[in-house]
Amino acid sequence: MVDEKKLQDAVKKTVSRDDVKYVVGYEKGTYGFQVTPSFAYDPKDADKFIFSPLCVYNLAVFPMLEEKPPLRKDQEPDTRKIGVVVKGCDARAIVQILQEKGLNREDVVIIGIPCTGVVDPKKLQAQFPENGKNMDIKTGKDNFIITIDEKTHTIAQDKLLDEKCKHCEYPTPILYDILIGDEIKATKKEDYKEIEDLEKKSMKEKWEYWEKQFERCIRCYACRNACPLCYCKECMVDQLSPQWVRRSVNLSENTAWNLLRAFHLAGRCIGCGQCERSCPMDIPLMQLNKKIEKEIKELFDYIAGIDPEEKPLLAMFKPDDPEEFIL
Amino acid sequence: MEKYTLPKADLPKFIKEMIGKNRVYAPVENDNVTLFKEINTPSNINLDFINSKIPPKSLLFQQTETLFKFIPGTKGKIDPPDLDDKKTVIFGIRPCDAKSFAILDHAFTGDFNDPYFINHRKNTTLVGMSCTKPGINCFCTSFNDSPAQSKYLDILLTDIGDKYYVEVTNEKGKQLAKDLKKHMQPAKESDTEKKKEIEKKAIKQITRNQKTEGITEKLDKIFENPFWKEVANKCVSCGTCTYLCPTCHCFDIQDESTLTKGARVRVWDTCMNPEYTLHASKFNPRPARTNRVRNRIYHKYNYYPKNFDIIACVGCGRCIDLCPVNIDIIDVVTKAGEVKL
Repeated sequence: MVDEKKLQDAVKKTVSRDDVKYVVGYEKGTYGFQVTPSFAYDPKDADKFIFSPLCVYNLAVFPMLEEKPPLRKDQEPDTRKIGVVVKGCDARAIVQILQEKGLNREDVVIIGIPCTGVVDPKKLQAQFPENGKNMDIKTGKDNFIITIDEKTHTIAQDKLLDEKCKHCEYPTPILYDILIGDEIKATKKEDYKEIEDLEKKSMKEKWEYWEKQFERCIRCYACRNACPLCYCKECMVDQLSPQWVRRSVNLSENTAWNLLRAFHLAGRCIGCGQCERSCPMDIPLMQLNKKIEKEIKELFDYIAGIDPEEKPLLAMFKPDDPEEFIL
Repeated sequence: MEKYTLPKADLPKFIKEMIGKNRVYAPVENDNVTLFKEINTPSNINLDFINSKIPPKSLLFQQTETLFKFIPGTKGKIDPPDLDDKKTVIFGIRPCDAKSFAILDHAFTGDFNDPYFINHRKNTTLVGMSCTKPGINCFCTSFNDSPAQSKYLDILLTDIGDKYYVEVTNEKGKQLAKDLKKHMQPAKESDTEKKKEIEKKAIKQITRNQKTEGITEKLDKIFENPFWKEVANKCVSCGTCTYLCPTCHCFDIQDESTLTKGARVRVWDTCMNPEYTLHASKFNPRPARTNRVRNRIYHKYNYYPKNFDIIACVGCGRCIDLCPVNIDIIDVVTKAGEVKL
């Protein structure tokens, strides 16, 4: 259980600093179980900050979305820091961005939360489709305690836990300025079971499976925009000259887009699952990300976003790098 | 208006009859996602749904539509557009989505008549299905509409227990109903009462309400208000809200060609994308998310009502259900109305 009072106090302290622009955290959303990103510009804004297993978003995307409008002659650039509330996985996104020099360490104040796992909103909705005025979830000892108006239900964690949390190896943020509560020791291990099952399919079955998924894609680019690591100034898919991917929405172009997205995150994806959660068409994007993550771990013994001093995978070369995959 | 009843057991026959002479689109479920798809047999239909994930606007205003084909180069030529005249039925469309077509009519007719939309619209008959179990973000009642209204449909079916109550509202509906009459009986007074009762029950289940009174005038006064920055802070600029909106209708046009053949296509565009207003000079009049989120609300609640006397939102709730960061149009518009001047 995270002490929300401690969190709010930390946010108040942070946002009171002259060199901090705002802090982004979580607040209750507008309906049902929704939780939504919340922005504190003022200490009193921090009163609405919460933390619960519903805080699924990776807020590391927000410093990357900051717009830098052109300055007038006499204007100074705003160099104030942005405070970000992060879970273990989200902190890895910041570490990865620091590695890539997408952000400087002094650009952000990291408020870390040791996390025991968040729920998968889709599983939750399937189990509890009803709507109430007061809906909440708390983490119990080995279950989730769900409140819908006056009624409470308990349910095994396994039934609602997000898939990524079942194999989380970094529950405590690797990098932080303030930590809310005590460190949590990692007890789980990534076993890539789901990926191994997919690998067993024949080439034909794999194509059929992915064709069915990509056919549905509407190219809204929610997967890209919600991802903290998709921060290119101009995305390849938006380029017109040359045009790498056509604007037509059909299986061929959709496949190009979805594979392009996955490959551009090779060695960079930290597995927060934000892309898949944001996808309105329920495309299992994490399966692509995880497959690439697994290959990279096996080939180069490399894990993204765990050491800010390390070079990015694609920016380093070792003479003994394996090369049997080069044709 | 003609009123009939159709025994539930006869629905497959009713649909088969339509498939015989028309191209029929109906809600089909695949991997838990319900979409309008062309059907060849009634057994594919799934009627146990709240609403389709992609609105049926995609059938009249397709996400990718080939405007015409051409051969590029010095010996190039243009093939005239291929406007297909096949009679089409959209079966199972919800009353809110049917209203969206009436809203889209304003955009695609008038100063310029869009031949593609108009052709699809002319050939399409809407056979709707009333909502008896609205979703948690449904709010059609905020626009004085009802989940069981026949106003924008050619034929509307309402589930009244062991049979469907069938309302044929206009000439287009009558044309289609000609061949279907043999499966139906004229409705009794008690059936009409039953439908009203079901409609009332459905309305009662809609719990969310958007305050739209005076919103158009209010928006005129708060264009520069910091409120819009607050709303847009959490937006990630994806296209989910616009692509899944039954009334959003912006598009981009591109030539897609190889050395020997090409096509001019139009694809959905989204005002959430910075590129949407990017000028060739690289100047962008809507550079920030604040400008773009505000534009979406103004287009629906200010520009459209001023131009066409109708709010360009039907209250289907799709943008609320699927926004990755919970930007909630009910909440945004209600709060915009409450902004202190």
